[in-house]
Amino acid sequence: MTTPTNQRDDSAKAHGKCMLNRRQFLMAGSAAAVTASTVSISLFPGTAQAVQTKASVLGYPRQLIGHLSKLKDHTPVDFNYPDDGPNSQAMLIKMGGVKAGGGIGPDRDVVAFSYLCTHQGGPMQGQYKAVDDQRVLGQCPLHLSLYDLRRHGIIVSGQAYQSLPQVLLELDGDEIYAVGVMGLLYGRNENLMNS
Amino acid sequence: MATNYYLPEDSVPLPPKHADVLTTCCDYCIVACSYKVFRWPLGSGNGGTKAAENAFGIDFPSGILQAWVAPAQHNVVMHDGNPHNIVIIPDKDAKVVNKSGDSSMRGGLIAAKCYNPKTPTRDRMTTPLVRINGTLQPVSWEFALDIAAEVGRHVIAKHGTNAYSVKTYSYQYVENTYAISKYARRHVNTAAFTFHDTPSDVTSTPGFRDAGFDNFGPSYDDWGAADTLMVCGTDPYETKTIIYTQFIKPGMDRGMKTVWLNPRETAGIAYAKKRGGLHIQLYPGTDNLVVGAIARVILEKGWEDKEWIKKWVNNGWESSSGFGQGTRNTPWQWRTTWGKFQTKGFEDYKKWVLAQKDFDPDNAAKIAGIPVEQIYTAAEYLAKPNKDGTRPKTSIGIEKGFYWSNNTGNTIAISSLATICGAGGRPGQVVGRFGGHQRGGTGGGKYPRNKSPEKVPGRRRRALDTDRWLYSGNTRFAHVIGTTWIQSMTGSQGLFNKFRELVTLNPHQVRSFDKQEIIDTLKQRTDSGGTVVINQDIYLRDPIGARFADVVFPAATWGEEDFIRANGERRLRLYQKFYDAPGDAKPDWWIIAQMAKRMGYDGFDWKNSNEVAEESSRFSRGNRKAYHMIKVAAHAEGKTLHQKLAELGTEGIQGPTFYNQETGELTGTKRLHDTTLSKEDLARMGLADGAQGVNMVNKKMTHFNSQTGKVNIEKHPWSLFSDFYEWLLPKGDELRFTNGRINEIWQSGFDDVERRPYVTQRWPENWVEIHPDDAKKRGIESGDQVMLYSERVAAQKNTILGVHGNDFQFSELMKNGQIELTKGAVTAVAIVTPHVKKGLMFGNMIDMRQPTNALQPRVVDWISGNYNYKMGVAKVKKIGESAYKKDFRSMSFAPRNIV
Repeated sequence: MTTPTNQRDDSAKAHGKCMLNRRQFLMAGSAAAVTASTVSISLFPGTAQAVQTKASVLGYPRQLIGHLSKLKDHTPVDFNYPDDGPNSQAMLIKMGGVKAGGGIGPDRDVVAFSYLCTHQGGPMQGQYKAVDDQRVLGQCPLHLSLYDLRRHGIIVSGQAYQSLPQVLLELDGDEIYAVGVMGLLYGRNENLMNS
Repeated sequence: MATNYYLPEDSVPLPPKHADVLTTCCDYCIVACSYKVFRWPLGSGNGGTKAAENAFGIDFPSGILQAWVAPAQHNVVMHDGNPHNIVIIPDKDAKVVNKSGDSSMRGGLIAAKCYNPKTPTRDRMTTPLVRINGTLQPVSWEFALDIAAEVGRHVIAKHGTNAYSVKTYSYQYVENTYAISKYARRHVNTAAFTFHDTPSDVTSTPGFRDAGFDNFGPSYDDWGAADTLMVCGTDPYETKTIIYTQFIKPGMDRGMKTVWLNPRETAGIAYAKKRGGLHIQLYPGTDNLVVGAIARVILEKGWEDKEWIKKWVNNGWESSSGFGQGTRNTPWQWRTTWGKFQTKGFEDYKKWVLAQKDFDPDNAAKIAGIPVEQIYTAAEYLAKPNKDGTRPKTSIGIEKGFYWSNNTGNTIAISSLATICGAGGRPGQVVGRFGGHQRGGTGGGKYPRNKSPEKVPGRRRRALDTDRWLYSGNTRFAHVIGTTWIQSMTGSQGLFNKFRELVTLNPHQVRSFDKQEIIDTLKQRTDSGGTVVINQDIYLRDPIGARFADVVFPAATWGEEDFIRANGERRLRLYQKFYDAPGDAKPDWWIIAQMAKRMGYDGFDWKNSNEVAEESSRFSRGNRKAYHMIKVAAHAEGKTLHQKLAELGTEGIQGPTFYNQETGELTGTKRLHDTTLSKEDLARMGLADGAQGVNMVNKKMTHFNSQTGKVNIEKHPWSLFSDFYEWLLPKGDELRFTNGRINEIWQSGFDDVERRPYVTQRWPENWVEIHPDDAKKRGIESGDQVMLYSERVAAQKNTILGVHGNDFQFSELMKNGQIELTKGAVTAVAIVTPHVKKGLMFGNMIDMRQPTNALQPRVVDWISGNYNYKMGVAKVKKIGESAYKKDFRSMSFAPRNIV
């Protein structure tokens, strides 16, 4: 486990260091924990922690997937991650100011998730929904699983074997980078099969 | 080391080519999906990503619907004393039930059920325990068994057989239930015997029984083959998931209409509505009125299935001949001779329905809190003939939300409605239960009803209510097997207090390490009016084991022994042993056999579970999952019963089973009451001229379970229940309170909710759903910690003899001082959601720590003897905020009806 430093280093080389593993990310994922956490990371610009160290996950590529200023509320941006191989389809979404676990941006409302249902790989493109203050992906067209995007992709109702894999994000100025995946992508035995 | 924090993994080992492959089925819900277990020694090499390198024979990444292994589907267990990897995934080759390897979350995560001290299963019981100086301490089997048996013998000798009460699961494999019921009913021969879900050993669906419907007659194909399917008291997507995803959903996708009676709109109902389904969102307990009103509309319009009725409904003479149910000595006859239920046939029923003001659609709709048009639409969907004069094929399925709110009234009403719609007995035109637990019961002895001191008005005795029997101090020895007893019964906090009084507060407590002194102390407790508790289970349950048991036996379970069980379409499969039971844990049949020998009973010398199964098979003859003929076929082929069933794999065979002595073919039964079964079909089964050899063929194959083989159509008066219903109506600030199961923990709560980190994260503690309007009024938001409480939890106190016709009716019990009002309170996390009906709160059916049954009245349905678990009333107030309100890691407050 590496201790985060207060040195800012955005270089790709620095990214290769294991600054934060996915478990730490998860533990820091609660609203209460983040502001007071010593595992402070730059996921939340605009706060005191924003100038602190970039976080990244060992072995995963750091990939530019979008720009904060270009995201429109409730309009998913599709990308592939961690490679362009099978089962890498994912979406980046700005959820209209509703704060989410692992969310980035001033409102912490920007998150990214795999599109594939963790039950049997059903494609959930086009299934993003905003209902009152809830943000969900689903129902999956195959067996109707529904996932909570505010809460790290946890199952709301359905058949999932695990939460929807969440793509970990970093914000660098206006640029949004994918830096890791929390949870195994459907159909893979390792997320980093092609590396 | 794993923790109850869910920490997602991003890699998993694949099973190699050299992995052993064994078949089993899910341990949990009635549907019993097929699974494959892949097992290979640790360190022997994992499978690769190429088809040639793994046991699935496919390339990874795998595609949609192909085999895949989620990290939670891998575990490490001991097999023959050596560590092995196991991967358990749904059987991708399945042609039945979970076709192509569909699965629920419960079954999907079942690998995590296996004992592995690195996981939250580490508290599996591994050794017998005896309570000494207040603490349960590990002892040898011999020490624990000697104590339990000697105290048991003493209780029977001194206080009579009914002082020895046995409360057991009904479902946990035929080998175990056979051994338990042989012990308890045949040998102990106690009337104080019942199953996990009812205070007395009575039918769950009195209306079906009276009509002549088997609970599990239909095949799963039937549920998707109707033109209109009516579903009462459940959303099969939440509970019975794979029946929904594999049968009902495809049916709706091709145009099957649906009618739903349910106070909540959960995912499956929300999807059905999108497909044009009719959701009748009624208040709990009002079903009889709504069903009666629908029947009335159908009869007024003349939409009933006249041909079916003419051929298949008993007239007055037929119904009275043996009272439609065989000999006079049956519960049906005792009930019907009151004249409250029996009709003289269809015309008499029709006349009665049309005369009931209760069933006026406007009245029914008002009390049920639904738009009256829905009653007319439902009648149309269910029974209106098509333009070409043909009829819609109608099927009806029910479950606990329906039959545990007005047990007798509702089940009779739905049987009568089904009959006038022509449902029951034809493909796609069936009536039945969807089911709860799997069907793993085989009777090893007859319940001694005539020894029951409880008598209902009329002529005969009713199975003894074991809760009231205990409550009034008659139970000196409580033998509890695989159930919590307390939390799973209603008014549970009162029961808890009574156990505490009889067990813990009794002065005779074990202070000695000497076996004889321990035995003497416990005997003294029983002689002083107290109770000794012995408990068999896989985990130590609080409070029945942890606080009350004097002796605890650790049980071996699923995957740790070869077992037989059937699912909700009577499909029998072998659940194979694939790993070593933890420590010294033993299967329940073995524990019972050791007890029996010490009690002096003969016939308990089995060496393995196959021997138990083979002895039990003849007792299954004639019942819906009769497996005797599998044994006959097995022996003809030089195999054991278990070997033969293992050969049939995950497809298994549907009971009752038949053996064609000429061809050697073993055949199953797709559906019961199959009026379309042809002579050719029967000839193929080796039954051309009726039963041949030891095959047993009874009426329910081609007819209904009544004297004549036709259906009894019965009356279902609201007045038998209305006083209880009205007493329970909310007063002041109260809200109606009901409870039920939820998809993610359905029928798996006995071991998964605390032990699967992912499930624990999703449902970390007790919860209650509240409608936004009700919540707002009380200042409650999602994530708030709330107190649910009531000052009027009604509890029936004594075992009584009914003399006058309505002695057991709620208002009479109240008047005669048989009901005490107690207080109950449980805390919960509020989920404010529009998917629950306004005015109603819906809680988790059992959280062991905060059981919602604490608030439900401990008053039985007075005709049947079952509790109406779904009927309750409670107040709610905010007491703070839970951690989940702002923590994004656990729970979800998103409504379940987003489509």
